[in-house]
Amino acid sequence: MRNHLLVFTATAVLLQLSFAGATYAHHANASFDMTNSATVKGTVTGFDWTNPHAYIYLDVNGKDAVEKWSVEMGSIGMLARAGWRRDTVKPGDEITVIGNRAKDGKTFLRLSKLVFASGQELTTTVQ
Amino acid sequence: MPAVRSVGDAWFRDDRRDTLHVNQTGRNRAEEESPVRNRLMFSSAAVAAMLALSPAARGQNAAQQTTVADISGVWQVTKYQPKLFPNGGVPLAPWGEAKFKEANPETNDPNLGCLPEGIPRFMFVPVPMEIFQVPTRVVIIREGVQALRQIYLNRQHLKDLDPTYSGDSIGKWEGDTLVVDTIGFNDKTWLDASGLPHSEALHVVERIRRVDHDTLVDDVRVEDPMAYTKPFTAQQVYKLKPSWEIQEYVCTENNKYTYQGK
Repeated sequence: MRNHLLVFTATAVLLQLSFAGATYAHHANASFDMTNSATVKGTVTGFDWTNPHAYIYLDVNGKDAVEKWSVEMGSIGMLARAGWRRDTVKPGDEITVIGNRAKDGKTFLRLSKLVFASGQELTTTVQ
Repeated sequence: MPAVRSVGDAWFRDDRRDTLHVNQTGRNRAEEESPVRNRLMFSSAAVAAMLALSPAARGQNAAQQTTVADISGVWQVTKYQPKLFPNGGVPLAPWGEAKFKEANPETNDPNLGCLPEGIPRFMFVPVPMEIFQVPTRVVIIREGVQALRQIYLNRQHLKDLDPTYSGDSIGKWEGDTLVVDTIGFNDKTWLDASGLPHSEALHVVERIRRVDHDTLVDDVRVEDPMAYTKPFTAQQVYKLKPSWEIQEYVCTENNKYTYQGK
């Protein structure tokens, strides 16, 4: 399918968690594949602006059906310092998310970068 | 070099903050709202005035007028260090080794249950902390699971301490270095995100120093003869974040993880 963009690239170094603050989890990153990055394009269905993590929920057109994806970010305090706001994404937005997928194969991603339909990008890195 | 201030200055500043509740009639608001509180404040002020006017006390004050470094402000770690031993070589004793084998960051990290980090992990969390100083205490508040740490400057360790997540921290100034001694821990926390364990015998000594205006360093010494064959050290460096404020962080608001520890 055209929109089924789930691209794994062996970029072991690229998305390794350097110190980025907003990507820090209150838990370890052991459950995510930190050696590969994944890119997923979909339609926003929800946005939890909450602690200890914020979440974006996405509908992604899969091969046979719509896949329900969850995208995890850091705490909202650190996200705010990285330029995020409670209305950064809204239901209906078409976005692309780049990050590390759960090792157990679930449709669950830890975000490194968000790309809006306009091409504008937002990371979780705090300057 | 970091600014220094005297203990006396800090007292005056706090006193002023407490007594600036004056309305248009010139009466103290505390007097109208709480006669008891006002009496207490008045008697405190009277005692303070008497002490200040006493020649003996003046001499004593002069002798005790120790200057302390100003380590207050919002600080953020420069580098997240999830592991105290990134290259291995942890000097685990048999008890510690057995506990370490039980540790699984995916299931029984206390953080998964929004439980406190304990010391020294509290000092290594990569979200900001703010340090406040009053004459009797250094107080650290932070975003994150554990919101508060208190370091008592005016007393020794309490006797017969109940084991707690953060233990009992006492501090003293050695020049521009705040030396913090902490005991009285429970054994429910991890020393780092890899699951390094500790027993109730944990003893942590920290040397906290503002090495320049923008940089704070915490040199940590960990000793726990039950868990480790010898003491070891770690260091965390922080940068000042003058424009940041500590934000609310309610860990149980939307925690989707399950803590399977005890």
